[in-house]
Amino acid sequence: MRWVNRFQSCLAVIAALLVALPLAGQAPRTVSLYFTVEDGDKLVGGLTEQNFRLLEDGQGRSFRLAEPESPILVTLLVEYSQISGIYLSDIEQAVRSFVDAAPEGHWYALATYSHGYTIHEDFTKQKGKILAAFAELGQPVWSEVDTYDAIYDILEKLDLLPGRKVLVVVGSGLDTFSSRTLPEVQRKIESSNVTVFGIAAGTLLRGQYDAYLGTGARMELTQAEAFFRMLADKSGGQAFFPRFETAYRDIMQNVFLTLQHQYRMVYESRTPADKKFHRLKLEAFQLTGDKRKDYKVRVREGWRRE
Amino acid sequence: MNRNQFLAVLLSELLVFPAPGAAPTPKSATPSGLLPEVHEPLRQALQKPYLDLFEEAPRLEFSPSQIEAMRKHLERSKEACVRNFKKRSDDHGKELLRVQRDLKASTAKLSDAERKERHCRIQNLRALENQAKVLAENAIPVAYDNLKAKLELIEKWPAEFKRIQAEIQEGAHHRRKFGDVKDIGFRELVAGQENDIKDGQEAVRQMKLAGLLPPEIDNPAIKEYVSKLAQRIAKHSDLRVPLHITLLNSKEINAFALPGGYLFIQRGLLEAVEDESQLAGVIAHEIAHVTGRHGHKLMKRATFASLIYQAAQLAAVILTGGAASIGAYYALQYGFYGLGLVLSLDMLGVSREFELESDVLGIQYAWNAGFDPDGFIRFFDKMATQEGYVSGLSWFRTHPPFYERMVHSKREIMFLPPKSGLVRQSKEFEQMKTELAKLTAKAAEEEQQRPSLLAPVEGCAAPAKIEYKPGQPIEELCAGSIDSKAASR
Repeated sequence: MRWVNRFQSCLAVIAALLVALPLAGQAPRTVSLYFTVEDGDKLVGGLTEQNFRLLEDGQGRSFRLAEPESPILVTLLVEYSQISGIYLSDIEQAVRSFVDAAPEGHWYALATYSHGYTIHEDFTKQKGKILAAFAELGQPVWSEVDTYDAIYDILEKLDLLPGRKVLVVVGSGLDTFSSRTLPEVQRKIESSNVTVFGIAAGTLLRGQYDAYLGTGARMELTQAEAFFRMLADKSGGQAFFPRFETAYRDIMQNVFLTLQHQYRMVYESRTPADKKFHRLKLEAFQLTGDKRKDYKVRVREGWRRE
Repeated sequence: MNRNQFLAVLLSELLVFPAPGAAPTPKSATPSGLLPEVHEPLRQALQKPYLDLFEEAPRLEFSPSQIEAMRKHLERSKEACVRNFKKRSDDHGKELLRVQRDLKASTAKLSDAERKERHCRIQNLRALENQAKVLAENAIPVAYDNLKAKLELIEKWPAEFKRIQAEIQEGAHHRRKFGDVKDIGFRELVAGQENDIKDGQEAVRQMKLAGLLPPEIDNPAIKEYVSKLAQRIAKHSDLRVPLHITLLNSKEINAFALPGGYLFIQRGLLEAVEDESQLAGVIAHEIAHVTGRHGHKLMKRATFASLIYQAAQLAAVILTGGAASIGAYYALQYGFYGLGLVLSLDMLGVSREFELESDVLGIQYAWNAGFDPDGFIRFFDKMATQEGYVSGLSWFRTHPPFYERMVHSKREIMFLPPKSGLVRQSKEFEQMKTELAKLTAKAAEEEQQRPSLLAPVEGCAAPAKIEYKPGQPIEELCAGSIDSKAASR
């Protein structure tokens, strides 16, 4: 009878393993979810746990609101190629406005991209160094705009760092010669916990010359715009399309105001590491008697665990 | 002694004493073409500190042709070495591009291990490329310029020394510019220092607003010591405005004074100075910029040069020694591209003139406050020797080098009336250094924790060849760069 017992024990072990294996891929992980709550064009603060409902793949999740991590790691990634020359003044304006609006106390870094990317100023708390580093850039050497590669690589670097991370991209959104594809960048952003703000440089110029553009050029520009929107939607950030030069100042102030008003929600995510995209839904509301007022929540669309 | 021992001794003797008839080593096989008995002592002399050379040069006996041969050798060595390292940098750069292209082309097919291997190669190639570039553009030229300055000193100082002695004997030195050293504090260098206060305040405000200033050092002991020292020098100088001292917690070896008496000293400088007289020399030099109203004068000349600038900003650009790239900052702020270039070309003469003036006045102030004025030269020497290897900004970098300044400074020291009890080192300085060590350690720890986009890929083997180690003598670094053909030219 001993062999029967042994057989039964083996079966039990195998059964346990079979149950445990898929669960291993679904081991919950604690994540920080950053988001803003808006009422029309106003940012809403002061809400508590009772004002939110979180769903992951349609399943309710328990959570707590926590103090946002500080300091924030803010990376400014700027297109700087020969073909950016025609809207270089936009880019300059954006960088200057970024530095003016950036509050003291956070970490700031500057990288530019054309054919590949270059980190000109690693994380520093002296924000003036960002503008100084930008001012020292020589003439752009390359005429490529490898936007996808640059964003992918910077996200990969940010993934290695702990804490709250923000990427501010200033560029046309066009891509000429990246080895990474748009879906690859999308997958990357879905798996990274980085809030991305996209600021489309050259929108002003585009407006002026719109009548002269061919269908192909229009298509490319539309795709560039869609790219910025995708970055924002997937990460819980925002996309901006400034139509006049002075708008950059307001946009950068808006970016930092948004960061200042972001909530941090901590919860155990149960999305499995199945390389699939899992949707998130976050509801924000205020109950007054039997009346419910819903707010708009700017939050990432979901997670992908690679 | 057995047979084997005997053979061993015999063989070793054969190695020591060349066989009769063997060809003798050519006597003139030195890289300069000089005879070894000339080349070697001259080469050794060039390794000595400036202060030692000032003492020894009048006794050294090298002919003009020997000096010329060594100068040509140094020039050739510099060119060959720079060329060599530039080529190495270019080669690393080309290889880097090749690996990056290969990575780009094959990125979709690579396994994790293959990708990491390429990332490691790219990381190492970047490091090697940058290292070779820094050497070619900075370390090697600076090191050779320093050697050439010392050679010039050996050549010209004996005659200059006699001239200075003659001037002192005749009393002619009292008639030199700023020769009224016994009236420091009562003489009028440039009227209107107090008019610069507003400009200085504005420059400080703008620098703070722009986020260009590093955080301040908050250690009371260090602040008190440096403040006391600086105020002592100020009291014995021609300064007519209150001195405001700010210590900045950053590793740059830098100090700068803004118009109106705003003195900034960075942690790196406090770390670099070896004794109190060196620190006093640098502080006195910076105070001299204020007493000489150099910021104000720069502004006036800049107006002539049609540069649309405000006094405070211009002063900040030049007198900060390029602190935090402030020049480039303002260039962008004013939409004036290439301003850095305009400033460095148009203002070079001005800046040089003011530096030499501040050297003289600074030496006078340090001496008048009771500090050994040689400290300034010793610090200068240290910086000149190490400068090429110092990264980032530094007090030394924007200041005109080498021979002219050294001789100018030494001449002034010789002209000063004898004074006993000049301070070179103090207990307070050593205590400050002890406190500073804690601050340095804390800063190093914070630096370790600083987030970085440049963090190296973990687990990569170090580059196959490290090009240099900081402090390595330039001859060792450049050995092999100069070919035999070039050497014999």
